[in-house]
Amino acid sequence: MFAVLRDLIRYNAEFAIGLVLVLSIIIFAMLSVFNPVDARLIFTTIPDQPPSAEFWFGTNSRGQDMFWQLSEAFRNSLMFGLTVAVISRILSISVGLLSGYIGGWTDRILMFINDIFVAIPIFPVLVLFYFVLRSDMNAVTLAFIMACLGWPYDARLIRSVALGLKHREFTRHAVFAGMSTRKILLEEHLPFVMPIVFSTFMNNMLWSIGLEVTLAVLGLTDINTPTIGTVLYWANSHSAMVVGVWWWIVIPVVLTALTFLGMFLLAVSTNEYIDPRSRLRRMGV
Amino acid sequence: MKSYFWFVAKRAVLLVAVIFFGVSATFFITHLSPISPVETALGRIMNQSSFSPDAIEEMRRVLTDLYGTDRPLLQQYLTFWQKLAAGDLGPSLIAFPTPAMTLVMQALPWTVVLLLVSTMITFAIGNLMGAMAGYFQDNIALKAFGVVAVVLQPIPYYVVAFVLLILFGFVWPVLPISGGYAMDVAPGFTLSFVQSVLMHAILPAASLVLVGFGSWFLGMRALVSTVVTEDFVTYAELAGVRNSTIMGGYVIRNALIPQVTGLAMSLGAVFSGTIITEQVFNYPGLGSLLIDAVFGGDYALVLAVSTISIAAVGIAIFIVDLLYPLIDPRVKAE
Amino acid sequence: MNRRRFLQTTALGAVFMAGGRFAGAQQASAPDLARFPRDKTIIIQNPEGVIRNPGWFNIWVNGGGGQSTGLQQLALDTLWYIDPDAGIEGASQNGIYNSLASGPWQYNDDFTKMTAPLREGMLWSDGKPFTSADVAFTVDLQMRTPGMIWSSTFANQVQSIETPDEKTVIFNLKKPNSRFHTLFSVRWNACWIMPKHVFETVKDPLTFAFNPPVGLGAYTLNSFDPNGTWFIWDKRPDWDKTPMGLVGEPKPQHAIYRNNISIDNRLIEMRNGNLDMIHDLTPEGAFSIVQQDPTTQGWFPSFPYAHPDPTLIHVLFNHQSGASLFGDKRIRWALALMLDARAMSMASYRGAATLSAIAVPPTGTHPRDYHMKLQDYLTNYEVDTGKRKVKVYDPDIGMQIADMVRRQFGAAVPTDPVAVRNAFGYGWWKQDVAAAEELLLAAGCTKSGRQWMLPDGKPFRFNLMVPPDGVVNRLGTVIAQAWSQNGIEVTPEAAPDIRERLTAGDYVASVRWAIETFGGHPDLSFFLDSYHSQYVAAQGKPQAPRNLMRYSAPQQDQIIEKIRGTGFNDPRSLELGHDYVKYYIDEMPVIPIMSFNVFSVQSNRYWTGWPNAQKPYANPVTNWGNSRYILTQIRSAK
Repeated sequence: MFAVLRDLIRYNAEFAIGLVLVLSIIIFAMLSVFNPVDARLIFTTIPDQPPSAEFWFGTNSRGQDMFWQLSEAFRNSLMFGLTVAVISRILSISVGLLSGYIGGWTDRILMFINDIFVAIPIFPVLVLFYFVLRSDMNAVTLAFIMACLGWPYDARLIRSVALGLKHREFTRHAVFAGMSTRKILLEEHLPFVMPIVFSTFMNNMLWSIGLEVTLAVLGLTDINTPTIGTVLYWANSHSAMVVGVWWWIVIPVVLTALTFLGMFLLAVSTNEYIDPRSRLRRMGV
Repeated sequence: MKSYFWFVAKRAVLLVAVIFFGVSATFFITHLSPISPVETALGRIMNQSSFSPDAIEEMRRVLTDLYGTDRPLLQQYLTFWQKLAAGDLGPSLIAFPTPAMTLVMQALPWTVVLLLVSTMITFAIGNLMGAMAGYFQDNIALKAFGVVAVVLQPIPYYVVAFVLLILFGFVWPVLPISGGYAMDVAPGFTLSFVQSVLMHAILPAASLVLVGFGSWFLGMRALVSTVVTEDFVTYAELAGVRNSTIMGGYVIRNALIPQVTGLAMSLGAVFSGTIITEQVFNYPGLGSLLIDAVFGGDYALVLAVSTISIAAVGIAIFIVDLLYPLIDPRVKAE
Repeated sequence: MNRRRFLQTTALGAVFMAGGRFAGAQQASAPDLARFPRDKTIIIQNPEGVIRNPGWFNIWVNGGGGQSTGLQQLALDTLWYIDPDAGIEGASQNGIYNSLASGPWQYNDDFTKMTAPLREGMLWSDGKPFTSADVAFTVDLQMRTPGMIWSSTFANQVQSIETPDEKTVIFNLKKPNSRFHTLFSVRWNACWIMPKHVFETVKDPLTFAFNPPVGLGAYTLNSFDPNGTWFIWDKRPDWDKTPMGLVGEPKPQHAIYRNNISIDNRLIEMRNGNLDMIHDLTPEGAFSIVQQDPTTQGWFPSFPYAHPDPTLIHVLFNHQSGASLFGDKRIRWALALMLDARAMSMASYRGAATLSAIAVPPTGTHPRDYHMKLQDYLTNYEVDTGKRKVKVYDPDIGMQIADMVRRQFGAAVPTDPVAVRNAFGYGWWKQDVAAAEELLLAAGCTKSGRQWMLPDGKPFRFNLMVPPDGVVNRLGTVIAQAWSQNGIEVTPEAAPDIRERLTAGDYVASVRWAIETFGGHPDLSFFLDSYHSQYVAAQGKPQAPRNLMRYSAPQQDQIIEKIRGTGFNDPRSLELGHDYVKYYIDEMPVIPIMSFNVFSVQSNRYWTGWPNAQKPYANPVTNWGNSRYILTQIRSAK
């Protein structure tokens, strides 16, 4: 495992860059543990200071040090996105592969449930949950709700790939060889859907974080907890862009972009590693 | 052919069931809302001037009676289906007694046109570039494009829209930033109106495309990179078939199915509108209507928008399902 | 569609789109309103969101139509106007305008009969003359039709209506009401008079859209956006046959009201010349536009710019569900003394707040009638902490805040003490944590470590409900923080549905406003009458405005009953107002903080002569019905 990692870093620049980016962001987010002040407090420092040696990321109009605010925000948002993505991946892989492989009534029932979830408009549902739960609507609850809403789209995608796999030679061979369904799905089919799982994993994180931003920008989350969304919410409610407090928006945006660029590079290079034919092709054999 | 007919019939039954259960679920979810339409209406009225409290009590009674919010839930549910069967979604409560459908139809064209156009553009650019990037994996230009896509995609949509607004409305004010069309053109099929609508749609559409194409790009790129490793591609390459033919004829065709499925499902977003686009560019559409409806406790209106959305998505999935066996011969109609 | 055609079409689409965008960038400019030349047109921002039913002008029914789209400002009219500021000299008296009425209201001795003399020669926008029959019809129709906005109000109060002639209307009331005329006196709005000749032909007034509207204002509808984001009005050729025209000729030929403009777009649109009047900005946005664009102005010529609305922001204690927390007035006083006025002013308005220690907003003519007159009383006011008596008022807090903001805004901050007091407030309570702790101990609270415990042994903690955005949110957050730092665990809870929850009583403490006055007139009945204990709802039942605190006390009832028995313009009503203020200082049922300042900004690029602190002839806040008088006073900037 360690050797693999070393090889990847040495021979694959994309992997190395991706790793550096993702690790940096993770370390940055982890630093929030050392935040000297409660991130929910306002006017703990001089407001509206541009980035400087004292305030690396500047301070916002609420008198908060943006370095620590963003550190907490990234920790919260990334944890949130990961939770949603992991839970909804488990759901979508199980449903997608089962439905595609077994077919028949299982497929019909699963896809029926799937289609209902796809069809129900998510946004009003989330807003209503907010009003019903009120102060109980914290990040964890929201993550579970969104995970429950975020799987069907990808389950459909995975199923459509699995449908193709079912009729392939190697599946028939596996069945003839007496492999159990569970084994066929996990060992034969799962590797084929892994690239799509990786890309949907990132898409799903983006989707959940994006939806959190939308809810936050509208003031429909716990706006006193720092997240990428609430940072933007407060910047917006202080007209940061039009009055020139640019660092309040530019820095979180750059950090977000770097995070996902890093994850993308990791995903791409790992995909290539998983699929040996692709690696050989790359080497020009 | 007969088997295909049964396949369609079964799918059609499923479609009706999906719509029925979807709408029912939405009905009960919206009625969970703690926001009372009577209280929000009263709030709007009372905030305006000084009413004596006993007059307000009386007004509350009249409005509750008028809106029918005190009836048992099951009865409301049955009435809802009865009315819906007759094509009536009931009166909106935030604009009582205007039918909810009238409000929806007013906002719908704006949303549908803006989102259909930008979704199609996004889909086309994203998939075309994604397929090429997946096939020609060593092309520098395509790699650079990939980086742009990857970097743009995670930027919160709100920021992208707002930056466009600031750039083209404030720093270099060349494009209109509010509304669907200019105030001095009369709506109608005239050149000046169409022109005005197009001008006003540029920024909203551009923001949607910028943010949206990345996920299609990445998805397609990943799909193509698995397809190109398959044996038939290698055989074709060995046989000296031209790259463009391989890509167009075999690779994209094979990779397109999941993407088309995705497209069908993203139609749901078309019908629930883009709240942030509408907010940033003050663009007319379903998104802000939906928000107003939720905030106003107007479940009739939430249900009207949701019903249309559910039906549209259901039908889109239905169509894609029917197309599967036609696009990919390996999938049997079963 | 096969695959190739699909790809071709989409590629073409992309090229077309890219080309179109390029062509657009070449030709575009700021929207040119050819039909509405800017030197003849005023463009006003209306703070309403999208108007869902824009073709609905029946303002007497809540049918989803717009309110401040110009309809209530320019098209409709009623008997009197009461200005929240001083009013136009010569046209108003004590801020009161006679509009459709030719003189003031007259009551009989026991306030059971009100007579209104009406003007002659006024014309509806369709040319029909206005008479007393219109007024009588307006009231009668609503009494007959439950579900209209004023139905229950009139049905509860009016016994009968008489119209002895075309220029007199007499209301016989079911019970005495010395403030009946306020139903027809525009403060923000009032009951507008409807055209009898239009409505008497309508079968069901509840479903009648009243499109196009027929009104008695100086403007009439030109067109409106079917998507509900703008309304255009034209000056009537017979504008001099309207009460507004009697005040002066309205100058703009066209008036455009634009709504659903997000807070940053307003600023951009004004800078691009597409707005003349902005309803409200963020404090930061207002400071920025006033500094960057010399043609723009706020209410004060310099810092703090914002117009103080006759609305008081204060801490609301729920005296029902929060009784176990806030039942003791010593606890309420302790909470007040833990607050730092400077921090609250800086956090909410970045120093641009107008503080008020008393439960009357420091706006309009109130500083003259209340704040100035009670200054000595406050300076000498003592609170008994149980251990000692403390003087708790700091009359110089406004000066201190002016000094603080001077560091950032320099010469833009006034130095003259009177100007500073009017802009920053007459004073507030000194932050005195020691006194607060003594009060808490006296009330039976105990301290365990840093945390205060209630007399019943439970930790003193609660949620403070605040709006999700704006200056009040910022204020609430900093208040919660101040209490938490002093050992009372308070969590700010942002509630988008704060209005509904206040009505429902679904909160224990909040920051918002429940005290609103006429502003230009010392009478307090506008809010105070509804504070009578007869109107306090039972817990769990919705509470009518404005006593959202659900506070009741026999002393308060006595003051209200005395006001009910005193005429509106009777000087004794001011004394009763002082009694109420003093009672509220003793009891602290709410913690008054500051007026609700609105960053209304006007541009002098096309129009000039706006009202401001030196010439306070009208409230500049665009959605008030009263703002119509501005159109008679401005002139083209050319």
